Amino acid sequence: MMNLDPTPYKALAIGMWALGMFLFLSAGKRRTVTLLAHATFLSGILVLAGFTWMLWMDLGRPPMRTLGETRLWYALFLPAIGYTTYIRWNYKWILHYSGVMAIVFLMINLMRPGVYDRDLMPALQSIWFVPHVIVYMFAYAVLAVSAIVAVKGLWLYYFEKQALSLSRFLPVLGPETDADGKVVPWSMQLADNLVYIGLGFLTLGLLFGALWGKEAWGHYWMWDPKETWAFLTWIMYLAYVHYRHHRPRQVVGPLWVLSMAFIVLMICWFGVNYLPSAANSVHTYTG
Amino acid sequence: MNSAPTSGSGKPIWVKPWGYAEGWFICLALLITGFSLQLTIGGLDPQTLSWPLNAYLGGGITLLLVVLWSFARNLEIVRWLARAPAAITSIALITFLVLLMGFTLQGSQGNPVWVQKLGLNHMTRSWPFLFGIAFFTASLGMATLKRLLPFRGRNIGFFLNHAGLYIALLAGILGAADLQRITMDLRPGEVVWVGTDQRGQLRELPVALQLYSFNMEEFNPKMTVVTSDSARMVDGIETQMFEITKGARGTIAGLDIEVLEYYPLAMAFDGRYEPVNEHGAAPAALVRARSGQGRSIEGWISSGSFMLTHMFLPIDSTYAVAMTIPGSASYSSDVAVYTASGDVFDTRIEVNKPVSAEGWKLYQYSYDQRFGRYSQLSVIELIRDPWLPVVYTGIFMLLLGSVYLMFLGKAPLPAEDTETGQEAQVHDEGAFAMLVEEDAVSTNPQKKAVTPTYESELVS
Ligand code: HEM
Repeated sequence: MMNLDPTPYKALAIGMWALGMFLFLSAGKRRTVTLLAHATFLSGILVLAGFTWMLWMDLGRPPMRTLGETRLWYALFLPAIGYTTYIRWNYKWILHYSGVMAIVFLMINLMRPGVYDRDLMPALQSIWFVPHVIVYMFAYAVLAVSAIVAVKGLWLYYFEKQALSLSRFLPVLGPETDADGKVVPWSMQLADNLVYIGLGFLTLGLLFGALWGKEAWGHYWMWDPKETWAFLTWIMYLAYVHYRHHRPRQVVGPLWVLSMAFIVLMICWFGVNYLPSAANSVHTYTG
Repeated sequence: MNSAPTSGSGKPIWVKPWGYAEGWFICLALLITGFSLQLTIGGLDPQTLSWPLNAYLGGGITLLLVVLWSFARNLEIVRWLARAPAAITSIALITFLVLLMGFTLQGSQGNPVWVQKLGLNHMTRSWPFLFGIAFFTASLGMATLKRLLPFRGRNIGFFLNHAGLYIALLAGILGAADLQRITMDLRPGEVVWVGTDQRGQLRELPVALQLYSFNMEEFNPKMTVVTSDSARMVDGIETQMFEITKGARGTIAGLDIEVLEYYPLAMAFDGRYEPVNEHGAAPAALVRARSGQGRSIEGWISSGSFMLTHMFLPIDSTYAVAMTIPGSASYSSDVAVYTASGDVFDTRIEVNKPVSAEGWKLYQYSYDQRFGRYSQLSVIELIRDPWLPVVYTGIFMLLLGSVYLMFLGKAPLPAEDTETGQEAQVHDEGAFAMLVEEDAVSTNPQKKAVTPTYESELVS
């Protein structure tokens, strides 16, 4: 039971993202359509940001406690990062993939309305709570985009022919093209940049968690299952960075590491709840 | 990955320069030795390495790395440890061990014998883990030294990350034996200076505590519906439950429920509740519930306390309206602190707000759950962690280092690791063949070093 009905806001955000992506795809060289696409897509993000803010006010606590609430942040950050990536590095297809992913996450939230619960247990009432979760969700979203890059790279590598023929119907399945439709050679720069940013935030999240743990429980690291998997996620991306540094011209190996790393990340985020080793965990998300 | 006895370039193993093959071999050797030791002499006891032994060891390891790097750099292993293949293989070894740990329930209970024999349920206290960490630390330390001297400004980010991790890791592991955690049971009025350590032994402390009062604030309870025979919550109504406040209204399990009156603290007087402020008082609410057939029932519900019984409002033979037991919003202890050095002060110890005294930190740990807000017991945990400033130094460096990492993407790619020039030329032949322009791949290391632009480096 809540005073705020989330359905219209989430549905509106989904609709605007879908419309924005459609406009981007069909714009071609028409400037007005492109402008409209930008406006629509960005409005979708603003609607969801506004809803998140209202939910925060309505709950009287940061909406970061349940799994559904963390999915909300994820769905907010993903399109924002996809859009920034598009503006900053001009990879248009990224926008569509992250948009679709955000829509999927919001759909899950729509179909599984979480428990509306204002209670926040004492251990979570800390100045570290908000920075810890926000920084983590942001890292997760950036790294999700890097995983999209990895999967796309592997798809192009192993299914070159299919990619080329399918891209005639759905350009986002093919290689990146420039304004004149010429194929742009595959580059690892986007993946690298995303991982540097993502790993930076992941490290911040890990350290904020450690500092908070010290205040709340008297220890900064206890190898609790959630912490164990957070460490694994972190070290997988560390492996990627060092592998890339050493073998800058290898592509397929690092792309595999990047895909695996994201699987570990997802286990850390919500898979841990289902692992027998987590039977005694002190911090899994509820709901 | 490549674990054949030749490295990727076809070079026989143990021929300079070492690469990945040597790394994988070392990992395997460490695993075999580690698990053999574990099976024969059992796990490690971290407590044996307490002050000042751990300080000597930490200093000794660091000194050894410095001496080896300064005077024995012609040893291939020293040079190799400072390079990426050692870093990556040791990272892989740690990843493997921590993965095992991530899938195994840690602790003494609930594991098959072979898991216990191999030490997988106490991973951080096992030989393989010790060896893995040793390899990892050696590589990390050597890499740090390699970039440290001669010192260059552009290596500052590298230094913050690698030295920061080295410091935090070593201090965290070695300092664990000096960490003391002691719990003290406080009851109102009594002055207590003795606590129980983690092994259950009594310990006298340089701080004495006297409890004035234990305080708890609670959230409002929630409205719910239970089965009237077993008083169990009806399945699938979690999202319908609502917070109880005067005037609140909602529908749960098809019942339209309205709160007519709500008292956070009340006592029962002949079938009705009155607000009071007494020991043992409990939240109570007067509610009206209407079922689908339009039948309306009015009555009192209460979540009860250790003194008062839980009150339901039965609607029919299947359902009853009930109040959940409120969760605690915060709890704290008001205490007087007496230190051995003669200080006396009054303070409040609260969850997430520990208090410092005499080199110890005092945490609100627990209370008697049966009595909730009326608990006459408050458990305070006292923790002494003398290595914390060192660990925090490392963490602080890492915090700065991670900011550096976020901006790294814009920097041009560093020059190729020339010692493994031959290996580095192995690239994914034919990868993305149709996507790559003919001259995009440069195999001339000289040319790469002068034009480290990203695209020409990376396309393969
Ligand atoms: C906080 C964790 C770490 C971060 C953020 C990090 C980051 C980096 C980065 C960004 C580079 C290459 C770019 C540059 O030159 O700055 C690098 C190189 C390197 N790192 Fe790390 N690293 C970390 C931990 C480690 C660990 C645990 C090891 C060893 C086990 C290690 C060993 C190395 C080595 C050997 C190099 C290559 C140095 C060279 O070629 O001069 N690093 N690291």
